[in-house]
Amino acid sequence: MVALSNAVVCRDLRKSFVVHHQVYGSVKLAAVNALRRRPKETIEVLRGLDLVVPQGQTTALIGRNGSGKSTLLSLIARVYRPTSGEIEVNGTVAPLLELGAGFHPDLTGLENIELYGSILGMPIREVRRRMDEIVAFAFDAPDLAAKIDTPLRNYSEGMKMRLGFSIAVHTDPDILLVDEVLAVGDEAFQAKCFRRIEQFQNDGRTIIFVSHDMAVVRRSSTRAVWLDAGQIRLDGPTEPVVDSYVSLSRG
Amino acid sequence: MTRDLRELWRFRELLWQLVRRDLKVRYKNSRLGFFWSIAPPLMQVACITFVFKYAGFAARFTSYSAYVLVAIIPWTFFLTAVLDASQSILLMYGVIKKVYLPREVVPLSSAIANFIHFLLSWAIFFVYLVAYVRAPILPTIIWFPYLVLVQFVLVVGVSLLVSCLNVFYEDIKYITSVLLNLLFFLLPIMYVVEQVYYSPVFAAPGHGWLRALYMYNPMAALINGYRKCLLQSPDPSAIGGRVSLPLDPANMLITGLLSVAILVGCYAYFNSRKWQFVERP
Repeated sequence: MVALSNAVVCRDLRKSFVVHHQVYGSVKLAAVNALRRRPKETIEVLRGLDLVVPQGQTTALIGRNGSGKSTLLSLIARVYRPTSGEIEVNGTVAPLLELGAGFHPDLTGLENIELYGSILGMPIREVRRRMDEIVAFAFDAPDLAAKIDTPLRNYSEGMKMRLGFSIAVHTDPDILLVDEVLAVGDEAFQAKCFRRIEQFQNDGRTIIFVSHDMAVVRRSSTRAVWLDAGQIRLDGPTEPVVDSYVSLSRG
Repeated sequence: MTRDLRELWRFRELLWQLVRRDLKVRYKNSRLGFFWSIAPPLMQVACITFVFKYAGFAARFTSYSAYVLVAIIPWTFFLTAVLDASQSILLMYGVIKKVYLPREVVPLSSAIANFIHFLLSWAIFFVYLVAYVRAPILPTIIWFPYLVLVQFVLVVGVSLLVSCLNVFYEDIKYITSVLLNLLFFLLPIMYVVEQVYYSPVFAAPGHGWLRALYMYNPMAALINGYRKCLLQSPDPSAIGGRVSLPLDPANMLITGLLSVAILVGCYAYFNSRKWQFVERP
């Protein structure tokens, strides 16, 4: 598929966080803080990123912990605002991050599908129309599917993750953000997830994912971006980038 | 702000889903369900009526319980909505950290869910008023929808403020609950406004500002408004021979304007901080 336009464009993107060395979350400490300056530090997590992700590309973000991968994903998901620089995101975004954060244990599976679907920005009609599809994708075994109208607290962790994944992939986003969650469910379900992601790729959708599993990176992405201390260290076709990343981290 | 409102409108379906979630979840695991929304205020009414009717000033009131109930319903709405709102964003923190959505849908949905309970409580009140007290419906009832709307505006404003502050300072929920406890006594709930209005302290020369402060406190004004528009004035003998105060349209309009101002101010503040929620220290 030919890239029609750019899904994500970052220009000199910077993001800093203010870190208080002694956590304050109270009025008392805030008042004390106002009186005497408490050690407060600004941590620059992303330091001037220039990145263009064309539509339809699958890009892997790799790098050590704390290199800014997840922060970049959150900026693309519009959860964070950049400290400076620009970020432009074209199209709808579905974050596949920490699946099921919006689930409510007292609601049934079906009710949670409606809720989580609308949290992810899916029109409610669309959620209802695709309800069967979502359930079928999450639970292929009839004994699991039969639980769909019982409260979510009866579900196992694996089942909740499967349901979360299923809802997220059925939102049909233009851009799918995946943060280390491909280790969902059992092997059969994982295979299904990968097939679904391949289908996404074939549909010409953009996928940006973070992974420490280099086998997954090599298998799924065409491009890898190696982030190091908030800057792009290497950017290019997957194989050479992953090779040099691996050799450096082993060396 | 118009851009924020447009974005909010785009997410109206999510807002409604969150309201539904709140309504469904609240009494999901209790057998008596909605009963728990009305039982505590009714018990409060019974208790206050007992104390003041048989042990206090209210002996000469006819159906004093109606006066209390008419005040307890808006008070309960204000109390539960503000307390729920103070927690609302932290309860959704896991979602907010991961997904883009206009942050105001969270406190707003909690306020709307409480508003629906509020309307249901009024339905019960009207049954009680007509079937049990057998009181006539007064023409001043035309003010009632206006008052309900103004209170909603006020509650949304305060909810936005409290929910936002509590993200950064978690003491806010404790401070709020203490202040609400005090407010209960400052509002004309257990007593009628005439007792304050004609009290020697408030009537003393030079104390007009104190009286105005009391009368124009939006919640006090609303409770008075509900009382005056739904119930007949108490007999002068019940309030020390004084003339009972009529419904004051000017006060009602000022309360409306004040509530809108509170909403606009609190929403502007909320918007200025809502993208920092995920970065709280």
